[in-house]
Amino acid sequence: MSGHRIRAITKRLLEGFRRDRRTLALLFVAPIVILGLLGYLIRGSASVPNVGVANEDSGPLGATVADSLRQSDKIKASDIASADGDARLKDGSLVAYIVLPADFSRQAQSGTVAPEVHLEGSQPGQDAPVIQALQQALIKLASQVAGRGVSFQPKTVYLYGGKDYDTLDYFGAAFIGLVVFFLVFVITIVSFLNERTQGTLERLMASPLRRGEIVVGYMLGFTVLALVQSIEVLAFALAVLQIHNHGSVFLIFGMEALMAIAAVNLGIFLSMFARSEFQAVQFIPLVIVPQFLLSGILFPVSSEPQALQYVSNVLPLTYAVNGMRDIMVKGADLTSASLLLDGGVVLGFVILLIAAGTTTLRRRLA
Amino acid sequence: MSETFAVSIDDVSKSFGAFKALNGVTLHVRQGEIYGLLGPNGAGKTTLIRAICGLVEAHAGTVTVLGQRMPNVPVLRHIGYMTQQAALYPSISVEENVEFFAAINGAEAGVKEALELVQLYDRRKSVVSTLSGGMRQRTSLACALVHRPQLLLLDEPTVGIDPQLRVQFWEYFRRMAADGTTIIVSSHVMDEADRCQRLGLIQYGRLLAEGSPVEIRAKGGSQNLEEAFLALAGRRAES
Repeated sequence: MSGHRIRAITKRLLEGFRRDRRTLALLFVAPIVILGLLGYLIRGSASVPNVGVANEDSGPLGATVADSLRQSDKIKASDIASADGDARLKDGSLVAYIVLPADFSRQAQSGTVAPEVHLEGSQPGQDAPVIQALQQALIKLASQVAGRGVSFQPKTVYLYGGKDYDTLDYFGAAFIGLVVFFLVFVITIVSFLNERTQGTLERLMASPLRRGEIVVGYMLGFTVLALVQSIEVLAFALAVLQIHNHGSVFLIFGMEALMAIAAVNLGIFLSMFARSEFQAVQFIPLVIVPQFLLSGILFPVSSEPQALQYVSNVLPLTYAVNGMRDIMVKGADLTSASLLLDGGVVLGFVILLIAAGTTTLRRRLA
Repeated sequence: MSETFAVSIDDVSKSFGAFKALNGVTLHVRQGEIYGLLGPNGAGKTTLIRAICGLVEAHAGTVTVLGQRMPNVPVLRHIGYMTQQAALYPSISVEENVEFFAAINGAEAGVKEALELVQLYDRRKSVVSTLSGGMRQRTSLACALVHRPQLLLLDEPTVGIDPQLRVQFWEYFRRMAADGTTIIVSSHVMDEADRCQRLGLIQYGRLLAEGSPVEIRAKGGSQNLEEAFLALAGRRAES
């Protein structure tokens, strides 16, 4: 071992980085951005879920619990009629509603209360604050029912999903789309970059090919691959992992295909801004990680701090993930306005990226 | 009346930032002629070739190819361009590469002939990444001429290939020119210059001199083309 030679290698390496400003920025800026985002997402003043309270108790204790719920900082409680509850869950204005039954006070006196908790259920993580708020309210109630303990046996009703759903069922729907999006993006950006670094793009530009033909040809080629991959992923998820699905397999496939086409075009577009495969791969933490955190895969968008919700609402992956859950968990079909919006936004994004890719191709070669 | 030129370059300038790659270049290439662009590395030869096929848009001046002002996409059908590096798809075979460039030019019928011309028909099934540098250059040439272009642009086609292959390449070029193809070939190797019918000497983005090898020698006052070039370059620097 020669210290001199080892030092030469180390020095050469650091000298290379000194000139690659972008890599330096990634090394030192990206971790702060990603950790900061995660911190803000989890600890930031999170938006609390909207919860309806239907107090049907003929005695005095239901009002006490409803009052505690209204004062809770974990949820934003409002009075509703229990008959409206399901409709409000479906239109998304509530994530849950709690019914305190007519004999609630009597139940409390007899020692066991059974309020009904109706949960929307399509997104993991949304239910926890509701259950917590209710537990706190009931603990407060117990202290007011003098002389005896009160046990709680809430009756939980899910609009979507339910007890036989596990974590994979909720994440699976989102991940099927994400896996395809991510892998197709990486393959496209590197392939298109190769086209430029190996000089063949220059040759294509000196041929009668139009720019649009290059972009669309690429898109179709990768889309064929992506669709085969989508079929494989979907078959594995449904047949082997047995992820619950209430919707049409064709709709899931359609949504996956849209995501794959979006990923292809995003790859083509961003490859214009990378000079090497090394720089291309750097787009992953910049493009994929924030979308992964903010698209509602892990944390419901409605529970994010308000400022991040604005960001989430312009990310295509948010709509794609929502669309996949609409289909698989809620069983949405083409009559669902929410699904049409999701699909429409992803499609709009695809068109925007095709245009952007074609335009950038022209500019970079001039 | 003026002669019809395959390529007319009139007072063309192109800058990249503060760097003037082309500075008022004017030259004309006749049909069926082998025209050599001669000059040191960084002289502006590649930029000029890229301007001819429309990849670079001139800031000033005009480039006219086969009667059409460039950039012009339909004219590209009649141009073959062999880039400096053997720009090929490494993971597919020789034949698949040539077929691809034939297809985008609408000339699928020419594949076999092109492969035979560069003597790679027997190796057509070989994957490009497994080939030697010389074979890649030959594949690259086959891709550039598979659609029988009227104008063939060759950017340093013989860099890094052995003398035997270089002789072969020039044999192809002569045959094609005899069939009416106009060939513009760039080089910084002086012994190749003698094989061209006319030469344009380029340095610092300017055309120093133009003429047949004999004329260039006379202008530079030396029997040696290299010395003639250096003399012309020196005279320009003084003026």
